[in-house]
Amino acid sequence: MSAHAEHDHHGPAEYTYQPHPFGLGAVPLGLVIFLASEIALFGSFFLYYAHSRTILEYEWPQPGFHIPADATSINTAILVASSFTCEMVLLAIAKARRSAAIAWMVLTILLGSVFLGLQAIEYQTIGFLPTTNAMGATFFSLTGLHGAHVFLGLLLLTFCLIRLVRGHFSKERMTGLVVIGIYWHFVDVVWVILFTVVYLLPTHVI
Amino acid sequence: MNVFLRPNLARCLWVAPLTALIVMCLTLALRHLFGMTPIFDSEQMITVGYLGGVIGFLIGIGAFDTWFPWMLGAAERPDDHSAHGARSWRDYFRFNTDHMVIGVQYIATTLILFLVAGMFAEIFRAELAHPGQDFITTSAYNGLMSQHGIIMLLGFLIPIFAGIGNFVIPLMLGAPDMAFPRLNALSFWLLPLAGLIFLSAFLVGSFESGWTAYPPFSTRGPMGETIFELGVQIGGASSIATAVNFLVTIITMRAPGMTLFRMPLLVWANLATSALVVAATPFIAGSQFMNMFDRVIGTPFFEPDLGGNTLAYQHVFWFYSHPAVYIMVLPGFGIISEVISVMARKPIFGYRAIAFSSAGIAILGFSVWAHHMFASGMEPWLRVPMMITTMLIAIPTGIKIFSWLGTLWQGVLQMTTAMLFATGFIFTFVIGGVTGIWLASVPFTYHVHDTYFVVAHFHYVLFGGSVMTVFAGLYFWYPKVFGRHMSESLGRLHFWSTFIFTNLTFFPMHWLGLEGMPRRVADYDPSYANWNLFISISAFCLGAGMLLFVYNLLHSARHGKPSGSNPFGAMTLEWLVSSPPPIFNFDVPPRIVGGPYGYGIEGARHAMFPEPAPAETREQAHA
Repeated sequence: MSAHAEHDHHGPAEYTYQPHPFGLGAVPLGLVIFLASEIALFGSFFLYYAHSRTILEYEWPQPGFHIPADATSINTAILVASSFTCEMVLLAIAKARRSAAIAWMVLTILLGSVFLGLQAIEYQTIGFLPTTNAMGATFFSLTGLHGAHVFLGLLLLTFCLIRLVRGHFSKERMTGLVVIGIYWHFVDVVWVILFTVVYLLPTHVI
Repeated sequence: MNVFLRPNLARCLWVAPLTALIVMCLTLALRHLFGMTPIFDSEQMITVGYLGGVIGFLIGIGAFDTWFPWMLGAAERPDDHSAHGARSWRDYFRFNTDHMVIGVQYIATTLILFLVAGMFAEIFRAELAHPGQDFITTSAYNGLMSQHGIIMLLGFLIPIFAGIGNFVIPLMLGAPDMAFPRLNALSFWLLPLAGLIFLSAFLVGSFESGWTAYPPFSTRGPMGETIFELGVQIGGASSIATAVNFLVTIITMRAPGMTLFRMPLLVWANLATSALVVAATPFIAGSQFMNMFDRVIGTPFFEPDLGGNTLAYQHVFWFYSHPAVYIMVLPGFGIISEVISVMARKPIFGYRAIAFSSAGIAILGFSVWAHHMFASGMEPWLRVPMMITTMLIAIPTGIKIFSWLGTLWQGVLQMTTAMLFATGFIFTFVIGGVTGIWLASVPFTYHVHDTYFVVAHFHYVLFGGSVMTVFAGLYFWYPKVFGRHMSESLGRLHFWSTFIFTNLTFFPMHWLGLEGMPRRVADYDPSYANWNLFISISAFCLGAGMLLFVYNLLHSARHGKPSGSNPFGAMTLEWLVSSPPPIFNFDVPPRIVGGPYGYGIEGARHAMFPEPAPAETREQAHA
């Protein structure tokens, strides 16, 4: 029977008879499996994109349109930074520094919100719509799907912030934070891939 | 508390419409804010209205009663397990977190959807009995045919295996419940919603593009198409949530001593299936998102004028939907392994071969999707690799067939109804498998693509295959659920009518297909008339046989012969507890000491219970 100090105490009691792979508790393990299906969901849009660009030799970006890689690279840096600040929350909790953890959490939420805000501004200034052409549809659905994930992540981080302020987390009881952390890193990694594929790969590369 | 305030179906009655209304008003407000004209867009309204209704239903049934306070930082409450177990029939209509209750809920819901979708098939078979338009319009025919397809697949075959697995697998593993009981209940309650959403499409003009919903049929069809896309999303979400739950349960909640190679083969099959669901189902979600965006927002994913491409849809769609056919049959293979080993009183032949072949099918399943598109004008270089991988997938399937035959060989066969269905399954499934190899070859597919040959093939594997395994499983585990046997004589009658009329219904379709009768048509050339009449009559008899099953199922729950806890002398864990099993299954975790199939071997044991004996402990605990 594996010893699990950091069980999630909000859910039903966990009965675990077998050692967990990678030492993940049942909830983080479930989340990791769920994220595999999220990869597949993004994958379906990437598949459409790849089909367009390789087999149909679809020009990207379409002539006369511009996808602003320079401006968005700043946004990418912001989101990547938020992944580190999110990890700082966990470190602070592990060292029992609650106020530091709250500060890092607030910073993470702020960085995530700035990312979403800049993304919204980009949508307004980019010069095409989801309905303009297949490039617009692909661009907006990929970035929009990711944006929805960031938004959900921000909500989850806010819920965690509330619990953090109320002192519900400790070194022994931080499954909720661990889970949100994994999710937030996932959103970050997806963005890095998305940024590379959608913004940085101009037509002549493929 | 008032019945309309407690978490139950009555609360859904007002919460669901209210949420739908709120979300629709919000959408109108947003459209006004962004200056979109016209403010009212029926496709958008119906989309957000349905989604709001689904969320409202889940709130009403009580799916979020624990999660919402948690989100807002309420103090943690230890679980009181009040939502666990069923004391009366009313408990089956609640948000129940007990895996056995959820299993029964799943099976009941899916069987109702099975009968509904079967009814649709009988209606359009009646239309097809005679050439010419008889009593339904071509549009109604298309609608019924599409509903039949999608409800049978997403409303019956995929979830009924989740239902059987839900009931049996925690018991087989020696676990008290699934890993995430609330998520389990949530994924169940999405299922009747998905079924209702599909059926509600009849109100506005049903989707008519078949279950595949190829654009441009789907993007330019009636409003039912949008509802179809929503239903697929809801059903898909349900099946992904269940699969995550199964995977975590199987990985972490096996009883002490239950190594991977001591797991019953149904668990192996479910492990492979769940992995497939997690990795593949999002692709159908993605494909339907694109369809929906095209319809609701006006994106040009599949509009060639604006750079869209309809073949891209087929790639994304079949990237899910080919693995999906293994999702629909692998758990059935697991059931057959259980039934055959128990009923032949022999250890299963080639345990590891069967276990690994499930994994092999799951992995190979991702490399064959384009064989559905040989005739679609897809890139020619994709054809031959896809043909080879498709033929390769027959190898792991063949390994299973030979293992079952090896298990039957020189066994002491107990021809119960479950065993009849299991052996009947092998016969029909092999026919479907062989035509599958034919269809895998490109030149042959060119001849029979989109003809009744294809219809015959997939009904042999899905009806003659999967549905037979479902029946085998239901007859086999029925005594575990109710503590009573289903009537054997009615069961035999049901088997023979199903077996004979399955073959009489679907076998002539091969000939029709070879002669070139296209599928998905409401009318056909009079030269096909004789066989079509024959098929329709057989289909009616097949449907009539199902009534026997329904009667047997309902009647035996009260009046069946009492079965005791282990009527078939099986060794796996679910048979070592009472029938029906106690709440939380085992009061002390059982200890697994050997393989699950040691039938006929002197002194072989699968599991033992640490003292005191479980029955006594249970009485003490629940006294």
